[in-house]
Amino acid sequence: MAGIKPATPASKPEEYKNVFVYLETRDDRLLRPALEMIGVGKKIAEKVNEKLYCILLGGNIRDQAKEAVSYGCDVVLGAESPALATYRTLPYSHIIADFVKEEKPNIFLIPATRNGRDLASRIAVRCEAGVTADCTEIDVEQDTRILLANRPTYGESMLAEILCKRHRPQMATARPGIFPVPEKVKSAKGEIRIREISPDKAILKKEILEYRKKNVVDLTAAKVVVSGGMGLGKPDGFKLIQELADELGGVVGASRPAVDMGWISRDHQVGQTGQTVRPRLYVAVGISGKIQHIMGMKNSETILSINTDPNAEIFKYSDYVIVDDLYKAVPALIQEVRKYKSEKQVAPTEPS
Amino acid sequence: MVLEIIVMVKQVPDSQEVVIDPVTMNLNRSLTRNVTNRADENALEAALRLKDSVGANVTVVSMGPPQAETTMIECLARGADRAILASDRFFGGADTYPTGLTLAATISKIGKFDIIIAGEETSDSSTGHVGPGVAEFLDIDQVTYTSKVEYKDGYVIAERELEDGTEVVKVPTPVLVTVLLNSNVPRRQTLRRKIDAIRKGFEVWDHDRIGLQPEWVGVRGSPTIVRRMRPIKERERAAKKIELSAVGDLVKELYEKNVLKLEVDS
Ligand SMILES: Cc1cc2nc3c(=O)[nH]c(=O)nc-3n(C[C@H](O)[C@H](O)[C@H](O)COP(=O)(O)OP(=O)(O)OC[C@H]3O[C@@H](n4cnc5c(N)ncnc54)[C@H](O)[C@@H]3O)c2cc1C
Repeated sequence: MAGIKPATPASKPEEYKNVFVYLETRDDRLLRPALEMIGVGKKIAEKVNEKLYCILLGGNIRDQAKEAVSYGCDVVLGAESPALATYRTLPYSHIIADFVKEEKPNIFLIPATRNGRDLASRIAVRCEAGVTADCTEIDVEQDTRILLANRPTYGESMLAEILCKRHRPQMATARPGIFPVPEKVKSAKGEIRIREISPDKAILKKEILEYRKKNVVDLTAAKVVVSGGMGLGKPDGFKLIQELADELGGVVGASRPAVDMGWISRDHQVGQTGQTVRPRLYVAVGISGKIQHIMGMKNSETILSINTDPNAEIFKYSDYVIVDDLYKAVPALIQEVRKYKSEKQVAPTEPS
Repeated sequence: MVLEIIVMVKQVPDSQEVVIDPVTMNLNRSLTRNVTNRADENALEAALRLKDSVGANVTVVSMGPPQAETTMIECLARGADRAILASDRFFGGADTYPTGLTLAATISKIGKFDIIIAGEETSDSSTGHVGPGVAEFLDIDQVTYTSKVEYKDGYVIAERELEDGTEVVKVPTPVLVTVLLNSNVPRRQTLRRKIDAIRKGFEVWDHDRIGLQPEWVGVRGSPTIVRRMRPIKERERAAKKIELSAVGDLVKELYEKNVLKLEVDS
């Protein structure tokens, strides 16, 4: 439990078994990163012949528990209470740490979302475990059951393989948008154990006064992303970006400074602290190609960039480059796409 | 009664000019300039704004090698009242667990506090785990990823930015808050304050002063180890140059290669 003390190694690591994953929800719905955790957790559990446990907390979680089973979860460990309807650090971390102490998992994966990170480190300290943040590759050594947690470092130029040999559970947070969502199997079988829990009032003092939901664009599922950066020079520039995105049946992305300027809402941000996208086509407009942006789009199948600077860093990551003013190049693109479509005589595409 | 605010800061290699040693695959520290982690500058600014509005004592705490002194002086020059650098050869090589432990122990040694403020994450390790870790060691609540922080009558009211919305929370102090990069514009250091800062100086505390055992901290106190590093190989891309006059050909090529499709697909 909390208190200023060092992390004691597990006295019998061999007693720790099975893989835990944390299922993040919002309004009692499973979020996409939760499904991604089921996918990677299942793969690891199967490799060492263990079970996948899904940790699910909320106000009303019966349906999501069944859904988790259909995605591949062997056991759902749930805690249900009106007090748990919205994520709050203290009740969630206390309850989950108790689950860890009871079940002794060998591995525990949590999505590296904002609430996931808020939670993971609390649990790690509470359980005196080791945690590796923001992994993009996760595997397990079959014979030793050691988690191989890989995370990019030094501005994404290197991949560090991080191990936690003596402490249990071996924890990692996994970057959203990297691991695939598994197939749903309706007939899948799993055990659902849900407890009704009434957390101590002392840990329920944080009040959520309001949640202002944003209209979220899920960039991660888009086939075409057209992103604008500081090169747009003004908020209106995004109208042009939107026009091109609409024409290509895609969605609008943005660099962080463009978001910070208030030109477009945060849910459009691509990069280290935004979304990680891998569309068929990524168009970078007036974006310089700083590593924090590159991280979020470098795995796109095809990349086209438009930049006035012939030495722009983004070009190193691009298949096609247009070295020209975006206010000439983007209208030209829009016009040519319209022309191509009208020649093929098809109706305009809707955003996918 | 004035608020006691602690700000956690870290000196990091300037992310714009990281140099990797091709032999050891490690950061070449001698070639890399050190700066204050930018989100931590926003953390300090958030604290100074509370100081301006409701009155507070602002103490900056950092764990790092002696060269972090420039960061300590910088924080004082921006308006912090006191700066403590937890520095000791035993602290080196720490992962997030002993880093949080060392900072939490330092903070509890300082004494009473109402609000601890940190940046959302550091640019060199990007975990975002140290702030929450400190809160757990100190057994207090936390509000992470905030864009706005206010204080009123024993409560922090803050806005947290999540992936799909903004959460407005109210939480009694003591509490740890982490603030987003660029959530405010940090005030500049004035020459006058800088001179005062250098004159005033900062404190350096070692493990003994903080009350930590050498084996609790640094590399020895870390549950995780880096086994190896490998370069991330990026796919080579052609960067084929397209003139404005050839955009039509490009569009055609993209459709023919099925990069763009005429029918909507999902
Ligand atoms: C901890 C941390 C996290 C971060 N996370 C992210 C993140 O998630 N996503 C992100 O994007 N950034 C992130 N950043 C910021 C990142 O470092 C860069 O500052 C940012 O990506 C730069 O945005 P930009 O390319 O739009 O702007 P700039 O770097 O200013 O580039 C603008 C570009 O536009 C070009 N241009 C100018 N005018 C025109 C014109 N008329 N036509 C065509 N081109 C033109 C210029 O040549 C230039 O290349 C982060 C930074 C830190 C420290």
